Amino acid sequence: MPSVQPQPNLDTPSDEDEGSHILLTFLQSQSQNTLSRLYQRPSSCLSIFRLLRPLERQLITNLLWLESAIPVSTMGAWVTRDGRKAYNLCLTTLAHLNILPTSTVKLALNSTLKSSLRQAITGGGSSGSFGVPAEHDQQHSPPSVDDLDAYALERWETILHYMVSSGTGQYPAKPSQDVLFLLQRSGLMAKANGALQITSSGFQFLLHPPHAQLWELLLQYLHMAEERHMDLVEILSFLLMLSTMELGREYSIENLSVTQMAMLSDLRDYGLIWQRNATSKRFCPSRLATTLTSSSPPLPTSSGAGTASNTQGFIVLETNYRLYAYTDNPLQIAVLNLFVTLKSRFPNLVIGAITRESVKKALANGITADQIISYLTTHAHPQMRKNNPLLPVTVQDQIRLWELEKNRVNSEEGYLYTAFASQADYEYVLNYAKQLDVVLWESPARRCFFGSLNGHANIRGFIERRTAGNA
Amino acid sequence: MKAIKGVLFTCDSAVKQILLTMNERESFIIEDLDDHHVVIKADEEWRVRRELEAELEKNTYSLE
Repeated sequence: MPSVQPQPNLDTPSDEDEGSHILLTFLQSQSQNTLSRLYQRPSSCLSIFRLLRPLERQLITNLLWLESAIPVSTMGAWVTRDGRKAYNLCLTTLAHLNILPTSTVKLALNSTLKSSLRQAITGGGSSGSFGVPAEHDQQHSPPSVDDLDAYALERWETILHYMVSSGTGQYPAKPSQDVLFLLQRSGLMAKANGALQITSSGFQFLLHPPHAQLWELLLQYLHMAEERHMDLVEILSFLLMLSTMELGREYSIENLSVTQMAMLSDLRDYGLIWQRNATSKRFCPSRLATTLTSSSPPLPTSSGAGTASNTQGFIVLETNYRLYAYTDNPLQIAVLNLFVTLKSRFPNLVIGAITRESVKKALANGITADQIISYLTTHAHPQMRKNNPLLPVTVQDQIRLWELEKNRVNSEEGYLYTAFASQADYEYVLNYAKQLDVVLWESPARRCFFGSLNGHANIRGFIERRTAGNA
Repeated sequence: MKAIKGVLFTCDSAVKQILLTMNERESFIIEDLDDHHVVIKADEEWRVRRELEAELEKNTYSLE
């Protein structure tokens, strides 16, 4: 039996260790000009600051209130020998973001960012960068937080539910045309036989945590905006502004630019924003929007269930592969159906089993064993948290073994080079092929080797030149 | 020297034995390299994979 390596840290999923946030990766690829314009807004600076890793945040706070630049050597003196690597990594990230420009002599924060971030912390100014609260409306009271949550959840789950059921032939409520277009552009869904079908990256997307899903879609939105000639800075600063707003409060649309007004309808479709109607002069950010840059969960509770325990976890998995999911949420059931054979359904409970067939189906859809396991881990019922390890090892191993089983045969097209005249001849050609890095298999005893397809033209040319030279 | 076009199969030895048996019915192996590697005819790859899948499927048991 092949040995299966247990994944380290499965029981302690932590966001802090996993590289930088995907928005920051996107920002690093933007021009200095774009970044400088973005840093003019206090709300953007504060939001970006919140997305950074703890050490990066510490560096910034250390430098924020210094009026003059600090020598690199002074800064370096704070760093212990063990911390040097982490410190240098931070400096690189901050330099890429143009927050702390690289210098061999002195370090100083980007002056635009410095003044904006100071303003964000101390308050003051009248830029309206954190949104302008709308005046109290006599006729309509603002929606309650519960209403907003229900609304955001309904919108978001419509999108996900549409994706998950696209392959099954039953079509639930359709999201708007723009959302469908976005899903198609991001490669999460693709047109097949005239209808949109979920793709393998779409299946993987479904198993991601909501926060990651949201950002993935928004990044795609940003990419699309570039093509639609919308101003990237306006969009980014609007998103970041939303993330600093207060849930359950109404904001006025007066200060918004034309681009941002156009975004309102898109964001309404995703459930990030609530408006009484399309022409309303005010809007409310939903929880999806206000938690964009924070670590609190973006979705309140699963619809209908009404208990908070549902967001923490609802899946009980036994060593005999039986799975009990305490949920009545159609989306969660549909997602489970991707890799579980469901047997029976009760008002608040679904029972199924993880079988070879169900896992094979998931693997065929492009979902990996690790994704299944991490989904089960993140959604494990609080009762399961008492177990160590969290998921039964037998089931984890078996899921990985089923995945290995799928890849029992690897194939690679190419050419078998054989019948060399002499050992020297063989080694000469083999060396050349090795330099090209195209050798897949070799056997000096049998004097033959197998080279990949793309190396063939070169090897043939090499041999021909050599024969011609010898003749 | 000679260059022969083909597909290199990398597999475990159990699968290789099945391939050898299948080859007796209908030949597709160009060169049997070692315990884990065989070179087969390029245009037979998908037929071989399908038959292999069916063969492996016979060795599994389902609860249902």
